[in-house]
Amino acid sequence: MLQAHSLLWHYLWVAPNVLLFVLAFVLWKRGLGKRFRILFVFAILSAVSELAVYLADVTPWVTPKLFWRIDWASVLIEGTLKFVLIGEIFAQVFGSYGSLARLGKLLIRAIGVVLVLTAAVAAAYAPQDSLFGIVSGAHLLEQTTYLIECGLLVFIFLFAAYFRLRPARLVFGIALGLAISACVHLATWGIAANGGLPPSRRVILDFLNMGTYHVSVLLWFYYVLVPGPAPVHAAMPLPENNLDVWNRELERLVHQ
Amino acid sequence: MTLALILAVAAALALVFILSVTVSRSLQITHGVSLAARIQPIDVEAFRNLIDPAEDEFLRRRLTAGEFRRVRRQRLHAMAAYVQTAGRNAAVLILLAQDALTAGDPQTVDAARRLVDHALLLRRNAAFVLFRIYLALAWPNSGLAPVSILRSYEQLNGSAMLLGRLQNPTAPVRISVTS
Repeated sequence: MLQAHSLLWHYLWVAPNVLLFVLAFVLWKRGLGKRFRILFVFAILSAVSELAVYLADVTPWVTPKLFWRIDWASVLIEGTLKFVLIGEIFAQVFGSYGSLARLGKLLIRAIGVVLVLTAAVAAAYAPQDSLFGIVSGAHLLEQTTYLIECGLLVFIFLFAAYFRLRPARLVFGIALGLAISACVHLATWGIAANGGLPPSRRVILDFLNMGTYHVSVLLWFYYVLVPGPAPVHAAMPLPENNLDVWNRELERLVHQ
Repeated sequence: MTLALILAVAAALALVFILSVTVSRSLQITHGVSLAARIQPIDVEAFRNLIDPAEDEFLRRRLTAGEFRRVRRQRLHAMAAYVQTAGRNAAVLILLAQDALTAGDPQTVDAARRLVDHALLLRRNAAFVLFRIYLALAWPNSGLAPVSILRSYEQLNGSAMLLGRLQNPTAPVRISVTS
């Protein structure tokens, strides 16, 4: 069952990408395509590039070299799209709060620089896990993009959690799906690129990656299709107040 | 192999953190109504006294250097406790105000937005001030005047009160106490 080119393997590679096309259609149909333009573009282009890699894998006349070139192009396209999507998530979560936006931008840029340097160091110290540079290079590229992606998403979650910000339901869902996928992919590509498993058993990592991505796509569907609980506008049980007097007194103290 | 292990552990920790944030988010939504009870009123006058540079100067003149450092550290610990409480109150108010952002009444939404901004500013200042207090604990003779946090707290008072009045005219928010 857990073998390359098994039925489950074909399903896990193709199904999430077909579902991404459906997701793009649902976003467009519900009028969310404009508000979540990057997610819309990501869903289409990511599905196209992943399916191109799949076709390259199953088509007999595609040489190994050509397959890895297509894989490289796919990783670069998807990586770029994911970083743009993370930027969109960041803007949606913090953009409307003037008191945080500047600090947030400053911090995420600094963290981005630190992550790029960390990823470069990790790639420099990684052993060559394949006889062919193009293969180990692709593994390292995956490790590098997922390390940066995972770090940026953890920062967004941490920053929002510290300030108790509750992003809009769909934005949260997109970030959650992306983060789960990024964490699992970082672990698996970290293991693959650093010789953590013998090549004969690496197919397990492929299944783990594809399965997680499938879960992430289903999660995005859940957040797009299932509405959140209706907001409750009950009067807050707030304690009594003598702030009028206090504010006047404090104003006097501040300006004395 | 070591690098593979480090990356796998880091990724697992990141995943646990993200999932815990997701769980706590759903709990916050479930228990949103009981949030207001978590506000701890602060004695602003006592805090003002603690951060008064003149008080510090008075103590510096009256006490020996060793005694002054000991007293100063005690005052800094007390200051940190106040700032932490102010930060926690700001966090509760952010949650309450975010709930109010979905209200139908534009006046309430406007007040809620202002409250969120003030509370975010206070929480940010509280983090900076706490950092400075902990630095000052290492060097008790250095100056420290977290006035910005007091001003933010006063702004927050006004915003919380306005939102509380709009949502429930009989019982507005109280985040400060008289001494």
